[in-house]
Amino acid sequence: MVYVTDGSFEGILTAVFEAFRNKEEPEEITLGGDFQLPLGTDVREIPVDAEKSDRVWRGVQSKISQQSLEDLYKAYLSEHPRVGLYIYRYIRLGLNLGRKVEEYLQHPDVQAIHDLSRRVGKEVHLFLGILRFKKLKNGVFYACYEPDNNITQLITDHFARRLADQAWIIHDRKRNIFALYNGEEVIFTSELPDLDHLACEEEYEELWKRYFATIAIEIRKNPKLQRSFMPYRYWKHLVEKQP
Amino acid sequence: MKLLDKLQILADSAKYDVSCSSSGSNRSNRPGGVGNASLPGICHSWSDDGRCISLLKILFTNVCIYDCKYCINRSSNDIRRASFTPDELCELTIQFYRRNYIEGLFLSSAVIRNPDYTMELMIKALKKLRHEYRFNGYIHLKSIPGADMRLIHEAGLLADRMSINIELPSTASLKLLAPQKDPISILEPMSFVRERIMESRELVLYKKPQSFVPAGQTTQLIVGATQDSDLKILNLTEHLYRRYQLKRVYYSAYVPINDDQNLPSINTSPPLLREHRIYQADWLLRFYGFRADELLDEGHPSFDTHLDPKCDWALRHLDQFPVEINKAPMEMLLRVPGIGYRMAARIIRARRLGPLTFEDLKRMRVVLKRARYFITCNGRYSGGVDLDAGLLYPLLSDKANKKVMAGQISMFG
Repeated sequence: MVYVTDGSFEGILTAVFEAFRNKEEPEEITLGGDFQLPLGTDVREIPVDAEKSDRVWRGVQSKISQQSLEDLYKAYLSEHPRVGLYIYRYIRLGLNLGRKVEEYLQHPDVQAIHDLSRRVGKEVHLFLGILRFKKLKNGVFYACYEPDNNITQLITDHFARRLADQAWIIHDRKRNIFALYNGEEVIFTSELPDLDHLACEEEYEELWKRYFATIAIEIRKNPKLQRSFMPYRYWKHLVEKQP
Repeated sequence: MKLLDKLQILADSAKYDVSCSSSGSNRSNRPGGVGNASLPGICHSWSDDGRCISLLKILFTNVCIYDCKYCINRSSNDIRRASFTPDELCELTIQFYRRNYIEGLFLSSAVIRNPDYTMELMIKALKKLRHEYRFNGYIHLKSIPGADMRLIHEAGLLADRMSINIELPSTASLKLLAPQKDPISILEPMSFVRERIMESRELVLYKKPQSFVPAGQTTQLIVGATQDSDLKILNLTEHLYRRYQLKRVYYSAYVPINDDQNLPSINTSPPLLREHRIYQADWLLRFYGFRADELLDEGHPSFDTHLDPKCDWALRHLDQFPVEINKAPMEMLLRVPGIGYRMAARIIRARRLGPLTFEDLKRMRVVLKRARYFITCNGRYSGGVDLDAGLLYPLLSDKANKKVMAGQISMFG
């Protein structure tokens, strides 16, 4: 049986609820309707249900742990095609083991969630460093990026704390998600146009590029090492890596 | 002079200082301010040499009265000289910070006129940055040897981290290469800062805490400019961690810039592999419970460049292996080559839920390339070779240096 969800976290939790209620083990829990299956596979549409997903949410919190809930959510943000199934399996195991499940790393179901959640966590940490803002003509600071994982909501608090006195926008161009900060709160929307062209050519970008070029020690050059920390696919939005 | 030129000159002069860490501070933003420190530190970019860029690492001025032979800024060198104004420096820091290029500022300086005067200039700039520009991000300040303690105290109230570079690992080397500096002028401020840090933590109990160098102090040693052995460097390191409670000791493979009869020739390439081994040993001292005299001694004064220090130790102590993964205490797991701190912790947690097999370890992403020769899982040994130093050496040594080079300075914490 394949469960088809709307792709939201609530949708997946609803599917988990249904799987328990129907006492059946789904072969797949899909993210959205865009998938391919062998002919003849049984399919069950799972409409998202706030009450059901809430019960699973609270169940994970109280019978497993808050940490597990956070790990599951982070893993979900990886958008891995099989993450729905991994979440279901983790919860199934967790309801048996309680909070110990977090440490049961030798178990494949735990390993799967742990790996994805770590992958997301790593990218979050990387982008706290390599996200770049440019100043737009209207004074707003704008950062455009294309992360592998859907991490925008995990990085905004950090920037709201440190860049508290400036208006900024973080734009995930891959997913068309905008986080807007006005000096008080962060709002999410998908209703903005691309703002890249409004950026003003800037003195500080030139200064930063010069600094970047100067600080490397020529005789120690090591491009492989550089790329291992800062993979090539991210360079597109890094000022210092533009010609 | 244009700001762009100044930036280039003063960054160029600062780049041989390897430290760039922004960790360890809990400073938080205040209403109306900009900046917030991150406890674990954040890298913002990696330069072409693969080193992390976390702070705007820059000199206040490169005009110097000293003529230290190893230093690019020595007074007798014919290079372009420049100095920032406090406003230029503050503006650069703030504007870079607002674009998320950096975690903060790492300010150092050559010695202009005299140590006190230089220190006063730096303090003035930092005060401006903290109070007028309301910057609450990270500041690492390099204190100037020979500056008055009153100034060091004042600076410590503004900075998150302070450091004073020892550079040359022995008094004899210091005499040879930096005859105008005296060792006391380096160690005295180090103990002064340590005492003030302890004091500031005690005060917390009964009055509003006064933040003094919350991220602690560090230093740097140059490797390979002098004849000092790895043993000498590591003993000094251990002493510094114990006596002065330094947060970090950094090592910088000497890059020849000046021609001098007392220095390696200008064509010598920097001893990167040696630097890498010393970093590995430094980690063993700080996190793995090793003592310096376990790793090196008079009969064995330098690291084997082909073998990491932990493997080197293990091959000389094979009687303590193999280690049973399901029983060994944390201290012993940490001594297994190839098992790091995180993996050891992961093993301890996981084995509570059931005995671990070799396959389990693989699934847990434990890297077994080296570890397999030194462990058993439920009594089973999967190394496939007798525990014999002669047989293991070729299996554990780095065949090509390339791989090691790619891994170096991955530890920027």
